[in-house]
Amino acid sequence: MIDFVNVKKAYPNGTMALKGIDLHIDEGEFVFVCGPSGAGKSTLMKLLLREERISSGKLTVGDYDLSTLSNVRVPYYRRELGVVFQDFRLFPKKTVFENVAFAMEVVGTPKSLIKRRVPAILNTVNLNGKQDSFPNEISGGEQQRVALARALANNPKVVIADEPTGNIDPKMSLEIMSLLVKINKLGKTVIVVTHEKDLVDYYKQRVVMLDNGLIVEDRVGGMFNAQV
Amino acid sequence: MRRYNPFYFIGQAFEGLWRNGVMSFASIAVLTSLLVVIGGFTLLVTNIDVNLDEFGLINQIVVFCDPNATDEQITEIGEAIGKLDNIESVEHVTKEEGLEQMKAEYDIYDDVSEENNPLPDSFVITYLENEKVPNLDYQLNQIEGIAKVNNRLDLATKIEGFKRGVMLVFVWFLVILGVVSIFIIINTIKLSVFSRRNEISIMQYVGATGWFISLPYLIEGAIIGIVSSVAAYFIEWYIYSYIEEMVITDLQMISILQFSDIRAYVFWGFLGLGIITGVVGSIISLARYLRQ
Repeated sequence: MIDFVNVKKAYPNGTMALKGIDLHIDEGEFVFVCGPSGAGKSTLMKLLLREERISSGKLTVGDYDLSTLSNVRVPYYRRELGVVFQDFRLFPKKTVFENVAFAMEVVGTPKSLIKRRVPAILNTVNLNGKQDSFPNEISGGEQQRVALARALANNPKVVIADEPTGNIDPKMSLEIMSLLVKINKLGKTVIVVTHEKDLVDYYKQRVVMLDNGLIVEDRVGGMFNAQV
Repeated sequence: MRRYNPFYFIGQAFEGLWRNGVMSFASIAVLTSLLVVIGGFTLLVTNIDVNLDEFGLINQIVVFCDPNATDEQITEIGEAIGKLDNIESVEHVTKEEGLEQMKAEYDIYDDVSEENNPLPDSFVITYLENEKVPNLDYQLNQIEGIAKVNNRLDLATKIEGFKRGVMLVFVWFLVILGVVSIFIIINTIKLSVFSRRNEISIMQYVGATGWFISLPYLIEGAIIGIVSSVAAYFIEWYIYSYIEEMVITDLQMISILQFSDIRAYVFWGFLGLGIITGVVGSIISLARYLRQ
């Protein structure tokens, strides 16, 4: 599904953010990407989102070869991904329903399908009855669930969450993680970038540990504490 | 099948214009000024051409034959003129035709009959090159039976010079105002893009194409162009009508095109130029997104 083959990334200022990453993630896997600040987690995310191009090596996600993917094809590639950010990135002037529907509108989904699909997705993330609320009327955890619902709107194959629990309390964090596990069980590949060791330890999923631009640990059910 | 709602794009475009009201107004004001100036200069140059045509000053010399010349001599004069260099065409105007033309233009010829017609036969010569006119003038004066060579090269040259001056000023105005207009439109659209940067970034993450992201801004540029061109049309109409009235009343010797005859050209010209400028400004500010 996702293949990094000796992927290196150097920024124009000379910083070598990734120094040769070899990583294979199967379809339907759940992976935590962890590591200290400056380890290369953000760069790895940017490469997966095709915000940045790799400097050398080969990176493929499904049928897309990101090493050669042209800018024109990037939007079509991104429709295969669902992305969740730490800061939710919701539209304050749109309702919960509209925030989720927006993701479908921009890819030209027919209105009738949007009307059918959005309530179903909101149900998946336990937001029944909240569809007419505005983001400032719901809690942080609920806002992140809206972001998660939006990430699922276009039925992506891969869900990437960048520090999804960074802005919410521990109880809500657990709920968001549970939802990500639930989504994973629905057949989606889930990649979670986090440095919250308690959560990583609790879920005992595959952990890929980065440090100084290299993978220093990759084990299924691995403990965060083992290397940090 | 992908279906996009056109009202979404138009609504977004108006929202952008409203959100950056001051810059939108500045863009419209500058583009309107540009169009009024372009329209003004174009109409001025067109009217100069019309007058040059009307006075027969464009590449024309009129030669008058000796009033006592016989028909045979007049035919010979015509043949001799035809053999000269730098001649495009020669038209023989008989004294009767000449009188008809004068009667049509000046009231004082109304009472003149063919019997007491004072006009001689004449030839209207259209020449090819201005530089060779002095030589042509000399050769015409050498032909026997020609009483007068009416060479208005000096006046034509002066008017042509004035026209060239007007064109030069026009081109500079065009360049300066064009650059200023596009610069202001670029900044207006950039502000609009900046105020919606979060929205755009989310659009990018969920897979919106560059065109989907950019279309509202292109429409925004086009709306600036349309509003400016309509405003410019009415301003130009008002100014031109004022000048038209002044020329008709006070400067009867000068011909002026009536606005009613040219309004369609002015309107469509402004509209085309306005939309092109607005959209070009948008494209420049959105190049980054359109490349995607």
